[in-house]
Amino acid sequence: MSPDVPRVESVVRTIADTCIENEKYFGDLDSVVGDGDFGFSLARGFENVVAQWDTFDRSDVGTFLQKIAIVMTGRIGGTSGPIWGTAFLRAAAVVKGKPDATGEDVVAMLRAAIEGIKARGGADLGEKTLLDALAPMTDTIEANLGAEPKDVAKRAAESARAAAEATKSMQARRGRASYTGERSIGSVDPGAIAVAVLAERVAETW
Amino acid sequence: MKKFVNDPKNFVPEMLKGIALANPDTLRYVPEYNLIMRADAPNHAKVSIVQGSGSGHEPAHVMVVGKGMLDGACPGDVFAAPPMEYVLETAKLLASDKGVLLLVNNYTGDKMAFEMAAELAEAEGLNVRTLFINDDVAVKDSTWTVGRRGVAGNFFVMKAVGAASEAGADLDELVRIGEKVNSVTRTMGIALTPCTPPAKGSPLFELADDEMEVGVGIHGEPGRRRATLVSADEIVDELLGAVVPDLPYASGDEVALMINGLGGTPISELYLLYGAAHEKLAAQGITVGRSYVGEYCTSLDMAGASLTLVKLDDEITQLLLAPAEIANRVF
Repeated sequence: MSPDVPRVESVVRTIADTCIENEKYFGDLDSVVGDGDFGFSLARGFENVVAQWDTFDRSDVGTFLQKIAIVMTGRIGGTSGPIWGTAFLRAAAVVKGKPDATGEDVVAMLRAAIEGIKARGGADLGEKTLLDALAPMTDTIEANLGAEPKDVAKRAAESARAAAEATKSMQARRGRASYTGERSIGSVDPGAIAVAVLAERVAETW
Repeated sequence: MKKFVNDPKNFVPEMLKGIALANPDTLRYVPEYNLIMRADAPNHAKVSIVQGSGSGHEPAHVMVVGKGMLDGACPGDVFAAPPMEYVLETAKLLASDKGVLLLVNNYTGDKMAFEMAAELAEAEGLNVRTLFINDDVAVKDSTWTVGRRGVAGNFFVMKAVGAASEAGADLDELVRIGEKVNSVTRTMGIALTPCTPPAKGSPLFELADDEMEVGVGIHGEPGRRRATLVSADEIVDELLGAVVPDLPYASGDEVALMINGLGGTPISELYLLYGAAHEKLAAQGITVGRSYVGEYCTSLDMAGASLTLVKLDDEITQLLLAPAEIANRVF
């Protein structure tokens, strides 16, 4: 798969629209063990992205994603803004100055985003966060790089969904949910489910 | 709880407007980013010192902007970290040729907002460093938390790097000084009443008439334990018992001693605590070289106090002695 700027644009737009549409669903998931502001934070951040959509510098993929990161994070408080913003920022750095992104670039962008989230949030795999969906999804994309892009997107979504559902048996170690300790076992992680929902929508609209 | 307030949403901007109007010659207010900055900033002969953090801790940090202290402060809402954009735009507005030092009290939200802003500022070619303050002994370091909190001891870091930057120290030197002061500073607080955020309108937690919260955070977060209220002398024993062995401070040491009010305690009671602490330290062979009594870092209207010790050497003492001119004045 070899997405050019318009493909990156359409994926980002799908992510933004999906987060806005799912504000209540994501918030409800978060209120089980978190503080319920996850859906609100993501929706407000991506609303700012959509509001300024036509003004972004599209001269290359990296610049475009960097602007998304700044606008997404700029005015929302809490931890979701910096975490998601950092993911976009680190992905942007991988393709800075490139007119186009290859399939290998996409994997490198996702790996950089994962490392950024780990650094910013001090989290690691297995601690019941969005990383537990993002990392297996990236592995799936890497393993299927030679396949048709639409098929890769579909397999990535299936992998993200399975991994997100598997967070149900994990105990939260990071963020507000970690204060509930063992009570966090038995509910899915809202960030991981959000990754699955987004991957599914990206696959549908490919 | 009765308060002087209009629309609670405007509590912070209206406070900032007041600070700016009261100090028209020395301060400038940038409403877009909740920024109070020195009117003469950025000064390219010195590193700009910035502190963000939440509001509700005044005079920290918007009222300690001035010569010899901060060049700017961009607080978030009451008890909320500033949004990343405030920090990034503040760093840009205050970017001097010698760079910008961001001081951050160690809390999850503040840490994330400042780290991301620093990353973006560097990407734009700014020379930025970030320094975390974590003087609160009440919280034990843990693998699962962001670590110790930054509380009233942040005053000493601000004062030291503020004085050094005024004397022309470069960014690396300021980081060294700030980290050194932070490493010899320890604080613990105690609450007699909860505090009431304007937007909430009711106390943040419950504390019975005969109870105190030992090791309270500056947002009313729980501390080490809840206990039955005891005498002032016994409270000082408890605070010193937590702070002194932590560094540890030892016989022969010279220290700065701060008794900081949390917002709702009269200064008479703070001096009463100070006198007891001073004598008890002397009895342990620890000499107070510099003393600080008053409100430095508060929790709105919370009744309570914190005790801070800083181990002094010649370098730190000289930086603490250097003059400063800030808005928070009574003369």
